[in-house]
Amino acid sequence: MIAENTQTQMRKGILEYCVLLIISRGEIYASDIIAELKSAKLLVVEGTLYPLLTRLKNNGLLSYNWVESTSGPPRKYYLLTADGKAILSQLDNTWQELSYAINTSKKGVDLESGNQTNLTN
Amino acid sequence: MKKTLNINIGNSIIHIEEDAYEMLTIYLNEVKHHFAKNADDFEIVTDIENRIAEMFGEILSAQQKQVINIDDVKSVTAQMGSVKDFETSEESEEAVDPLAHIPPYDGIKKLYRDTDQAMVAGVCIGLAHYLNIEAKWIRLAALISIFIGGSGVLAYLIMWIVIPKAESRTEKMTMRGEAPNLKGFANSHLNPLMQQSRGFIAEFFEFLGNFIQGAGKTIFKIIAIGIIVFGCFFLLCLIATLAGFFGIWDSNVYNYFPINVINEEYLSTTVLAAFVVFAVPLLALVLFSIRVAFNGKAINKTLSFGLLIIWLGGVVVGMFYVAKITAEFRQKAEVAQASPLVSYKTLFLTVDKTRFFTKEDSVNYQIDPDNYKGRRILNDDDNGFDELRNVSLRIEKSENGKTELIKSYSAKGRTFEAALAQAQNIRYQFLQKDSLLNFSSHFQLTKKANWRDQEVDLVLNVPVGTHLKINRQLRGFLNGYNYHGCDDYSEMEFSEWIMTDTGLKCSEELNNPDKE
Repeated sequence: MIAENTQTQMRKGILEYCVLLIISRGEIYASDIIAELKSAKLLVVEGTLYPLLTRLKNNGLLSYNWVESTSGPPRKYYLLTADGKAILSQLDNTWQELSYAINTSKKGVDLESGNQTNLTN
Repeated sequence: MKKTLNINIGNSIIHIEEDAYEMLTIYLNEVKHHFAKNADDFEIVTDIENRIAEMFGEILSAQQKQVINIDDVKSVTAQMGSVKDFETSEESEEAVDPLAHIPPYDGIKKLYRDTDQAMVAGVCIGLAHYLNIEAKWIRLAALISIFIGGSGVLAYLIMWIVIPKAESRTEKMTMRGEAPNLKGFANSHLNPLMQQSRGFIAEFFEFLGNFIQGAGKTIFKIIAIGIIVFGCFFLLCLIATLAGFFGIWDSNVYNYFPINVINEEYLSTTVLAAFVVFAVPLLALVLFSIRVAFNGKAINKTLSFGLLIIWLGGVVVGMFYVAKITAEFRQKAEVAQASPLVSYKTLFLTVDKTRFFTKEDSVNYQIDPDNYKGRRILNDDDNGFDELRNVSLRIEKSENGKTELIKSYSAKGRTFEAALAQAQNIRYQFLQKDSLLNFSSHFQLTKKANWRDQEVDLVLNVPVGTHLKINRQLRGFLNGYNYHGCDDYSEMEFSEWIMTDTGLKCSEELNNPDKE
């Protein structure tokens, strides 16, 4: 349960960061975001993405344009606002710090063979 | 074959199968429940709906089909993620019990017939679901109630009619009191692949239904073909009979019994009417059978109305003539004629089979009366096939000591005069040759006439003490005598009777009075 909670927290933060990163590359459609996330092996269902996008949009990080679609109703294409870009650069910094922290913390820990071997080393 | 619905989702029209629709509805309701927390949620739900519509569109064009089925809905909802997936991603942030905002399912059950687990029509199991009792107790109660004046049968039939069958999954779930959500939807006992064992009786009824639909149809067809064959045969017979009546083969038919009732001037019309009355329903039956046997089209309306009108016409004409002919029997007239006989101590009574010749006969058989002298024609017709046996003989005690025969001829007619004329038309041949009394077996009509219940009543009066030897064949004409006393003579040509003061007695009876 604790592990699950921590995982969820970690994934949540990283998911948000990743989504912002993907959108920062240019206007993009929600299901394309999903495809990107899938290729990045960050598996989510689409239903999770819509609340997230709506929340980010309401916080002013994102905006969207209606784009006519050949196969169905008009699509919402998301893009970053100036605020969003600022937040993304903040998150970028945070990620660098976190990354450093994790790498430092992981030094000497071989997850493949488990903790027990680390101690003997 | 499945029923499909048209839905408008994300502003596109989608054809969707009924069960797929139910599943989608349940899914979207769950999604709406989940996102019913703040103002943004309408937007989220709209986004999701739009995306679902788009995915449907992609599936339809990719698979070159027109209808969304339940598997498509499953794949789309899997891609979209279940409400549970949304919960785990939002849970910690919201710190709210995800179930709190989903109104607890009120658990209202509805009464349906459960045909999946039915023994007969699913009434008992439906009640069991509703009352939350094991089905076997309800069934036991139902079985017992059959023996209490059969009330159970009636109640069962009424409930069978009144309670609807649980057809859709939603209905099946409300029947069981399960929340109609996706979790319930995946419930194993509703999975069509998992056939519940339903008991012998239900299988029997199913078999019976299939039998009636399948083999029963074949049997119906065989019966129908049989009707066609026999109907056509009888139709042919009727036509042949009709042809016969109109003298194509045998003009003599007019002399035979049921026909000779009808006045000659009515005959052709009456026969035609009778033909129509019998042939039209037969024809209709054959046509109907052809339709059943070969799945033909319904009989042309004009034709069937025409047949009906012809038939009604036949019935009306037939009834008119039946009434007319019945009226011919309204009056009865009787003519009596007494002829004295020479008395003998012993009289022999026999049936004379020789036929009396009328003028008409001599014309019919081309017999010259002059050459006929001394010759007779024997009438072998013992049983009176062409006429009713309506000669009867009574032997009574003579009051004046003389022997005599009283012949009374009676007949019927529209009026008394007509009846009298018919009665006078009767001739009965009787001859006394010394002590031998020759009765003829039939009477004759001097002029050709219709059957009008002509009868000849003969009364033979003999003095007391006269011995009568009665021919065996004559017994058939004797009315109201007890032959049992003369059993010993039954095989003999003549039985002996004696006229006494108290009436005719068998001589055997008189000789051995102790026998009585």
